[in-house]
Amino acid sequence: MSTYGTPGAAPRVLDPVTLPSDDNVDAYTFCVELKGSQWFMQKGKMIAYYGSIEFNGIGHGRLDRLVRKAFHSPLHASDWVVAEGSGKMLLADRAFDVNSYDLDDGNLTIRSGNLLAFQPSLSLKQSIVPGFLTLIGTGKFVAASNGPVVFMEPPIRVDPQALVGWADCPSPCHHYDHGYLTGVLGGLRAMTGLGGVSGEEHQFEFVGAGTVLLQSSEALMTEQATGAPPQQPGVPGGGSPGGAGPGAGGPRLPGQLGDLQRRFGL
Amino acid sequence: MFRLQSSKVLAVDLTGDAVKAKNGSMVAYDGQMAFKKLTGGGEGLRGMVTRRLTGEQMTLMEVKGHGTCFFADRASEINLVSLNGEKLYVESSNLLATDGGLRTGTTFTGLRGASQGNGLFTTTIEGHGQAAIMSDGPAVLLRVSPQYPLTVDPGAYVAHQGNLRQSFQSGVTFRTLIGEGGGEAFQIRFEGDGVVHVQPSERNTIAGDV
Amino acid sequence: MGFREINSKMVEATVAPGQRLFSQRGAMLAYKGEVSFTPNLRGGQGGVMSMIGRRVANEDTPLMTVEGSGTVLFGHGGHHVQVIHLSGDILYVEADRLLAFEGTLEQGTVFLGSQGGVMGMVRGQVSGQGLFTTTLKGHGAVAVMAHGGVIEVPVTPQRPVHVDPQAYVAHHGDVRNKLSTALGWRDMVGRGSGEAFQLELSGSGAVYVQASEEKL
Repeated sequence: MSTYGTPGAAPRVLDPVTLPSDDNVDAYTFCVELKGSQWFMQKGKMIAYYGSIEFNGIGHGRLDRLVRKAFHSPLHASDWVVAEGSGKMLLADRAFDVNSYDLDDGNLTIRSGNLLAFQPSLSLKQSIVPGFLTLIGTGKFVAASNGPVVFMEPPIRVDPQALVGWADCPSPCHHYDHGYLTGVLGGLRAMTGLGGVSGEEHQFEFVGAGTVLLQSSEALMTEQATGAPPQQPGVPGGGSPGGAGPGAGGPRLPGQLGDLQRRFGL
Repeated sequence: MFRLQSSKVLAVDLTGDAVKAKNGSMVAYDGQMAFKKLTGGGEGLRGMVTRRLTGEQMTLMEVKGHGTCFFADRASEINLVSLNGEKLYVESSNLLATDGGLRTGTTFTGLRGASQGNGLFTTTIEGHGQAAIMSDGPAVLLRVSPQYPLTVDPGAYVAHQGNLRQSFQSGVTFRTLIGEGGGEAFQIRFEGDGVVHVQPSERNTIAGDV
Repeated sequence: MGFREINSKMVEATVAPGQRLFSQRGAMLAYKGEVSFTPNLRGGQGGVMSMIGRRVANEDTPLMTVEGSGTVLFGHGGHHVQVIHLSGDILYVEADRLLAFEGTLEQGTVFLGSQGGVMGMVRGQVSGQGLFTTTLKGHGAVAVMAHGGVIEVPVTPQRPVHVDPQAYVAHHGDVRNKLSTALGWRDMVGRGSGEAFQLELSGSGAVYVQASEEKL
């Protein structure tokens, strides 16, 4: 009989009996138990399962009723699947930290690329902030992040790429730091680009009561297409293509600096 | 002899003996060490074909000397396995190092994900000694027993041992979405008695990492 | 002051009026309070000329000065962060591995070409690390990034340490480094350049090696 060794810890070989139900196996792997029930999940995030589980693409036949109840967003159909059956299923994503969160008649907005799976009892809607999805209702969902999620409370300003999501507090506003553009050196920077930019000119600002979720990342996890709002003037995120007003080009995707980006040639 | 300096760095203390390790995985050493590239895959024509198909990534080197040698590969997590005569199957790109005394071989594992060239090659390790296997994120060990067969995503498979039969079954049903690739079209089913290592990631293609 | 490790990929620093931090551009994840981030025109010794020099050498990791009153969270790209405390000695670290450091430390740039002449320059090209290394001296804390975290390998006069140049992160102490092409390496044609060379460190101190051969 061979032995397995990891630094310090006793080796754990798991089976369907010892695997946790709807809980973390370790920081990077989550186990979902299905008992004839369903979970929505991102395609490709299942690593192994015991039992008999079927994975079906969204929008195919008998699952349409379920989809209509839980999805309120023109999600790109082929990126999500419904897992249905009985057994225990392990979820993971690129060795990122995974955690489950329970919503109890609550709401949480999360970057689409960070959401791995959720129970159909939750409603998935598209947030006003592009690239984010809002989950409402009661149920459990699983999110992945680059490094453990750090919870902070407002007031706080967050680098757009480090933002994972927020709960209960109002949607963030954009904050721009123009301080360094003042003075002689500032003028020099603005005109020549010498001296560079700090890279911190734009953050999301949160106020109010709630929680903000952060991760250590300046690299976005692949965005899941959440669909686009109708292209109509006056609709945030929509509006005529290329429309620009003073200071308003529509909400920008996290990480972009809009006008500043063009100015500095970033 | 083999010990973990951190969860991602393997330390091997050598006193004149040798170990086999993945080509290019040495990050530091003290003392005196000699490195020799081994021709992997086996002898003859089959060996040559194997080497050509598996590419540089799976070549092993022999490290011999006196002192301590540190191995690591792309910050992958390392698991140590001690073998007492039995056989360990490891996805070739997940093998970091083995004791010089262990016998290594390569087997073709069939059409698993043939369209992507994924997982065609498994390295077998046999004998007495220690082996260090890597995974993208700490591996989870799952037991397979006659009442509990296991289905695994090929990109997450790292290693297995025991008396196990592998078969392939189709994965997600995207009947109307032909060509919408990206995810694994197949899953591997394990039946019998043994243990399978899976990693919390899909990063495991023969052509390199994602 | 100092850095508090929130988790392996994030550190927190408190800034108060009169104290300063320097950090890599874009390394701020979030902050509370009133904190300003100004690009540092003087990237090293010698003011503007040195900065231009660095540009020429392709060392474009400009620093920013962090001042004000509040707390700042630093991290970058999800990489592991290691905090090293200096008490009077010098730390040599590759500029692009520096996440942040306290203003109490004296910062300098060393042109590696001056060490070992031609070999030094070759080392720079081969390891892709550029020709400049940053030195930090004094008392204070430094937050360093690495792919997968680092291990600390002690260097003693009896036991010099050889390091894969692409895995080298930093070193401190009275340590001499030189690039060598040891026999036996010629048999190894590995991925990328740099496999044929090793960095040999001798003297008395410690070298930080990352668990990967990848540049950040």
